[in-house]
Amino acid sequence: MKNRNLPRLAGGVMVAGMLLPTTSSYAADAEQIIRDNCLLCHSEENASAPQFSRMSHQRKTPEGWLMTIARMQLMHGLKITDEERRTLVKYFADRQGLAPEETAGSRYAMERRLNTMESFESADFEQMCARCHSGARVALQRRPAQEWEKLVHFHLGQWPSLEYQAMARDRDWFDIALEKMVPELTSSYPLQSSAWESWKAAPKADLAGRWSFSGQLPGKGDLHGTMTVVAKQGDRYEVSVDGQYADGSPIKGSGRAIVYTGYEWRADLTIDGVKVRQVFAASKSGQQLTGRMFEAVHDEVGADIVAVREGSAPMLLDVQPEYIRAGSRAQLTLVGTGLGEQVSLGDGLQVVKELYRDDNKVVVEVMADAGASEGARQVSAGSANGASVNVFSSIDQVKVVPEFAVGRVGGNGGSTPKYNAQFQAEAWANGPDGKAGTEDDWRIGFVPASWHVEPFDERAKADRDTEFAGVMDARTGKFTTGAAGPNPERKMSTNNAGNLKVVAAVKEGSETLTADGQLIVTVQRWNNPPLP
Amino acid sequence: MNNKNKLRCLAKRSFSMLGFSAALVGAAVSYSASAAAQGPALKAGQEYMVVASYPNQLHVIDAEKDSLYKSCDMPGRFGPGAIQVAPDHKTAYVLNNGYEDIYGVNMDTCEVTFHAKMSQASNERTKTLYAFALSYDGKELYTVQNPTILRSDHYEVQPTRLAVYDTSAGLKAKPIRTFPSPRLVTAMQVGKDGGLYMAGADIYKMDVHTGEYEVAVPSRNWQRERYVQPDVLNVWAVQTPTEDFTILYTTARFQEGSEDLNTADWLYGYFNINLATGETTTQDFAPITEIYFTGTRSPKDSNIMYGVLNRLAKYDIEKQELLGVAELDHSYYCITPNNDGSKVYLAGTYNHVAVYDADTLAHLKTITLPGGDMSTTTAQVFIR
Repeated sequence: MKNRNLPRLAGGVMVAGMLLPTTSSYAADAEQIIRDNCLLCHSEENASAPQFSRMSHQRKTPEGWLMTIARMQLMHGLKITDEERRTLVKYFADRQGLAPEETAGSRYAMERRLNTMESFESADFEQMCARCHSGARVALQRRPAQEWEKLVHFHLGQWPSLEYQAMARDRDWFDIALEKMVPELTSSYPLQSSAWESWKAAPKADLAGRWSFSGQLPGKGDLHGTMTVVAKQGDRYEVSVDGQYADGSPIKGSGRAIVYTGYEWRADLTIDGVKVRQVFAASKSGQQLTGRMFEAVHDEVGADIVAVREGSAPMLLDVQPEYIRAGSRAQLTLVGTGLGEQVSLGDGLQVVKELYRDDNKVVVEVMADAGASEGARQVSAGSANGASVNVFSSIDQVKVVPEFAVGRVGGNGGSTPKYNAQFQAEAWANGPDGKAGTEDDWRIGFVPASWHVEPFDERAKADRDTEFAGVMDARTGKFTTGAAGPNPERKMSTNNAGNLKVVAAVKEGSETLTADGQLIVTVQRWNNPPLP
Repeated sequence: MNNKNKLRCLAKRSFSMLGFSAALVGAAVSYSASAAAQGPALKAGQEYMVVASYPNQLHVIDAEKDSLYKSCDMPGRFGPGAIQVAPDHKTAYVLNNGYEDIYGVNMDTCEVTFHAKMSQASNERTKTLYAFALSYDGKELYTVQNPTILRSDHYEVQPTRLAVYDTSAGLKAKPIRTFPSPRLVTAMQVGKDGGLYMAGADIYKMDVHTGEYEVAVPSRNWQRERYVQPDVLNVWAVQTPTEDFTILYTTARFQEGSEDLNTADWLYGYFNINLATGETTTQDFAPITEIYFTGTRSPKDSNIMYGVLNRLAKYDIEKQELLGVAELDHSYYCITPNNDGSKVYLAGTYNHVAVYDADTLAHLKTITLPGGDMSTTTAQVFIR
């Protein structure tokens, strides 16, 4: 099966390079594609509106529909063009998508945050479903009982070894799946919902305009800029991005976007020569976008992004950097839209000089009093507010973020690229009690650190994992994993896996504060669909 | 054992499938041109070992010289290459073609003399997960089949079934009897009394004429005070010289008066059925310090247990004491002793059969097969 990939499916729902019909005709086109290509196996049902077996009785995200249709291509001989596939994904995601409320809590899967630690109340759900794939993949679907039941049959029919695996062979997997999980899933994720009914009826915003955005790219730092969005036919847009990182380096690029289900923004852009994707959700009002922008090939490299549309109510998205040391002078960049003249930073902080101003961005030089009290200050610029800045007197402790990460070997002529790891050092203050690890500790923000790795344990030391598993960039905290494949230099020719302690060192006055996290470098994720 | 830890990491998930998926991933190492499909007939009284490997061959190894004796090309595609040798030691039955077909290969001539397709209907896709065995006289072949009906727009997983074949039925063998079977059956062997031992949630014994079965050795449902439910997965039904059907288990035993897994003893043990006598055993033999895919007892000293995956280990069962280990050049899945118990053969993964001295665990030889990876083949030793 591994050679039967549709190569461009890997990263997400594709929008690039398409010429699609207008909104008014694409539904008819999609239904014609279904009638021409799908009815050898599926059947058209007797209903007032066009309705087809299986496919008309489920709701999914754009990525979910893409995976389903791609599976029909990979496993069941469906032959359609890429353009036809795009038409179908759009058709299904619009007609049978998920309401914004229904994707809340599971967006990390669409946003390709593969190091997310999932947690579900139902132990059965975790063990029966989320044992092999993300729970989010399930939580982002809606089906009636008959369709959940067919999904169980599909799973065991397609992967007969499934019930023999650990945490399946200890129980009557098939019986539990049918008798317990089908009712549970039907109740948790039903086809009919008031959220969907009301979202279907709600007006959908046109997302054209200029957007002010801010974000943070681990390893690189804060970023902000503007995104210009020009409407094309059929919920499609042309996008250009113009911004900068905190170090002044530019973020420039352009591409195309499509909006599914009235709010699911997906863009394929080329920024500074690198192909990137945006997976954003538009707010119901259509005035804000939130999500993640990540590299298409290395989706572990990505920034959390929030954007507000110019012309909407004044709003402050971010203050960059997010902290200032008491007794110091520093530049702060306020990012948002409709930023007013009067910049207020709260007690103990004074604007010394305004260095730059436009409607979306104000740069000020700020003096923090030596005696300024520690803690967050709500910041405003005129009537724009919603962001804060942290005032601290000293960094008391450092944490490695993420505390635990998984990287994967790759490259080396193989089909799968490396999956690298990125760490950040997070500064914390001990709070009024002066003790670390207590409730009143508070987060200052991400700070520069110097990085290295050590063997996590004796086993890792004996196997010399630090020599093989990859290389840590001392300045950026980016760990580049080792090459894929058996390594004859290693014991038993094993691959370049490793169990590493990730150490951050932060200078604070004459002291060096250290913290550590854990990085497992393991084998490739061979099966890497849009939803993990 | 319930996993109480609710925090899960997407990227860590592959660990939860360790054990089975690891065993099923058989990456081909390299494909070289196949050796002669034909070769000399086997010699009476001579000891041989048989294994299967990519691209799709059955290899007979001379177990005295420890060298390749001959290779036979097989039909279909390779996988998993699980093998049972007929009691007359002329025919090797191989589960192949993506778990969907069983072929009987005459080892003297390389001729395929038997073929049974597990699927019984054109819209049925049926896999056998290693679950096949021959009757004590070799006249019947037993398989547990996992069928799925492929409807036009959905699948219907069917109940598992035992299908019985006449081994003289030739290349279009059809079941002569079928019975409902428990799910989850993997390795199977037949006792001298004709009963079919099926390793599933428990080890069952089935009457192959009536389909009735009972628990011969409780596994999931064992009642051992202070022990948790054991974990068992064995896809290697090794036909041992002592006629022992041996399956490893792992378990935990709580301390007296405690139900805390953190302080429990984690143990390896084995289930054994002596196929000649029907005697059954459930016996711990070691603390868990590493994983073994297969274990086998010495034919010359039943108190000695060997285990293999990343190391070859040797245990005193009674004392539950590690007697020695051999470091290996790579993982091996399947361990098989020779008939006099002087050597153990390690097979599975790569195309290397490693030969070790059973007493000293000294490495004697590595036989390199002409093809690729052996995947989860069953290495079987026999005297013609």
